[in-house]
Amino acid sequence: MRILIIEDEARIAKRLARMTRAHFEQQLSLTVCDTLAKGLAYIEQSPVDVLLLDLNLNGENGFEVLEAMVSRPFHTIIVSAYTDKAITAFAYGVLDFVPKPFDEGRLFQAFGRLINKSDVPKSSLKYLAVRKGGMIKMIESAQVSYIKGAGIYSELHLRDGRQELHDKSLDTLEQLLPPAEFARIHRSYIVSLQQTAKLLIEPGGKYSAQLISGELLPVGRSRYKELRGKMI
Amino acid sequence: MQKCRIFLLLLLTVLSSCRPDPDIRYEMADAILSRPGTTFTARVNIDVLEKRFSSPKGIQVHGFGAFVVYWDGVKVGQNGVPASAGQPEVPGTETSYYQIPDKLAGLGKHVVIISGTQSYLLETTERSVMAKPDSYLKLLRQPLIELSLVNLMAGAFLIAAIYYLFLYANSKYKQRTTLLFAVICFLFFALLVMEYLKFYIDIPYTQFYTRLTIVGWLTFANALLIPLYFTIHFNLPYKLLFMAALFAALLCIYVLNYEHYDLTAHLYSLTLWIASVLILLYVLIKKQPGSLLVLMGFVVSMVINQYMFYDFGLYVSFTIILLCILYLQTLGAKQLEVAHQASLLLSSRLQLELIKKNIQPHFLRNTLTSLIDWVEESPAQGVQFIQALSHEFDLMNEIAEHVLIPIRQEIDLCRHHLEVMQFRKEINYVWTDSGIQDDELIPPAIIHTLLENGITHSIPSGENKVEFVLSFLHTATAKQYTFEVFAENRLKSERRGGNGFRYIEARLKESYDDGWNFSSEPFTGGWRSIIRMDL
Repeated sequence: MRILIIEDEARIAKRLARMTRAHFEQQLSLTVCDTLAKGLAYIEQSPVDVLLLDLNLNGENGFEVLEAMVSRPFHTIIVSAYTDKAITAFAYGVLDFVPKPFDEGRLFQAFGRLINKSDVPKSSLKYLAVRKGGMIKMIESAQVSYIKGAGIYSELHLRDGRQELHDKSLDTLEQLLPPAEFARIHRSYIVSLQQTAKLLIEPGGKYSAQLISGELLPVGRSRYKELRGKMI
Repeated sequence: MQKCRIFLLLLLTVLSSCRPDPDIRYEMADAILSRPGTTFTARVNIDVLEKRFSSPKGIQVHGFGAFVVYWDGVKVGQNGVPASAGQPEVPGTETSYYQIPDKLAGLGKHVVIISGTQSYLLETTERSVMAKPDSYLKLLRQPLIELSLVNLMAGAFLIAAIYYLFLYANSKYKQRTTLLFAVICFLFFALLVMEYLKFYIDIPYTQFYTRLTIVGWLTFANALLIPLYFTIHFNLPYKLLFMAALFAALLCIYVLNYEHYDLTAHLYSLTLWIASVLILLYVLIKKQPGSLLVLMGFVVSMVINQYMFYDFGLYVSFTIILLCILYLQTLGAKQLEVAHQASLLLSSRLQLELIKKNIQPHFLRNTLTSLIDWVEESPAQGVQFIQALSHEFDLMNEIAEHVLIPIRQEIDLCRHHLEVMQFRKEINYVWTDSGIQDDELIPPAIIHTLLENGITHSIPSGENKVEFVLSFLHTATAKQYTFEVFAENRLKSERRGGNGFRYIEARLKESYDDGWNFSSEPFTGGWRSIIRMDL
């Protein structure tokens, strides 16, 4: 696990680092940056799996930074004193929001979300941040019809027919998307339940989901039952 | 506003309809004058056509000199003592009244002979003689009626003058318009008194023009001061130019119509009216509050002046104008009240902002997070941390309600803050101050705010150190604090500051009004802020 901590308060950064080491033990590569600039530079250079980010970094517009971070392939966990910003942070698509002051239990719970997919945050994602030509574009999750896995990327298929490429993998996105609105129907597909018209059983025991737009998406055999439960 | 208009219209109708019917009808020839030497005789032929009163008849005589008045050959009285052999003249007054015996008061033709001396009359001040018959009672009562109204106005303006003078003397704000209004009110009071002084005192004809001269200059002053009031109240551009032009115009009127007293006073008033209306039209376009009402007052005053008896109408119009100014004055007072409220509000907002510094979630939560860690990892130092924090809170609490605090207290606050931050950031913060005079006062937490900015925006040097230096300079014209941070700046831009700078500026404005200067900018090797307070 490659973890980056961006935190300007030395004492808190040490605390985060200590607890992170305690949680992941051996399989950990940990980096601590005390300024945002250093952190951003590090992200450009080296691959990261999880970012622990102090949201209000020296008064710069925290949400601009947040937009840039959530558009990246890795998961972002906010560790912040600005507890009133938690809902907004979740809407932007962070894995968790750890309010300061925190203890080991709370931080471990956040790390737990990386593995335990049933631990769903109370507030849910509202936007997907897409990087395009150096700009960050915020796409409302309600605009998404379905998402198709494309290697380490994902293709967002929007209701108006447009497509956007997201830096996060389908697996990573699945962890962020609210299960009440989206369902993983296939190794390569996540679908918006609102956009799904009906389920079809084709000859030969193949399952498909038909979208309102008429498109047909394959449904994995093992996932059919769960999907049918959600559709009803 | 609508109500006001209706009221003004009604007032106008009432005032314009109060010209009474005459009680007597007569035809009168011009006085036939003969002036041998310093003596004079005037003969006025009067034909009384109709008389509608039963009370005694009287006659009002206008003329200069000391003389005896005869009605149909019978002496009815005298004004002053005409000169006679060895006896100099005792001058009479300009207007005098005489009762006519009832048996001579019938309808028909009568002759009035006015005979006496004009020892002190100069060639240039020659003035005709007039005799007007009327009810004797009415002749005596008329001035009383006029005076009752005039005294009412004069009294009101005397009180207003005194009130606004006291208000100015005791007010914290010393508004020029308040003093000006007091002066205008007093001048107007003096004008009314001078104009109607003739009814109280027998002014010798030799001094007749003294009163008119005084009335003239009083009108002159008002014609200058009322437009001046408007220029100041409405904060007009080119005040000086406008006032110079007005002064020149009034002076021209004085020179061109020298010794035409009534005409001069009338032209002064007209100039006053035109100048004021010009200003009011300008500010009406600029949509300044109160301009429409005052402009309407001026229009009404002009109409009244046109329709009413000359002197009296003039004073009623003046009164209306002064009432309009009074209205503006109260508007000004209201603005002051609003400004005062706003400043109170600002003060309590600043106080709140200061208190909030230490209970702001990001400060508290970050501090608590570090604190937990210290307590968990090394409890002894954790306790020191708690003590440092509580010292900072204590000091904050002490200064929170003050507008100014001793600089030493401010420095203590900064040092305690640094202690807290040292625990949090584990950076070696070094504080130095020089030239500080312990009792000098400064608004609370402004250096503290600069310090917070310095901590947030500085990257420590190689030795993990950030240095803060506060120095004080007392010159002949100003006191100056220089606060320097020696470290690498995180932000090169001027963006740092924000709310903190607004707090500092608001605090400086609160205590020093406009007599201060604040600058904050980077230099190679750090950041420098300078606070200068003028002496």
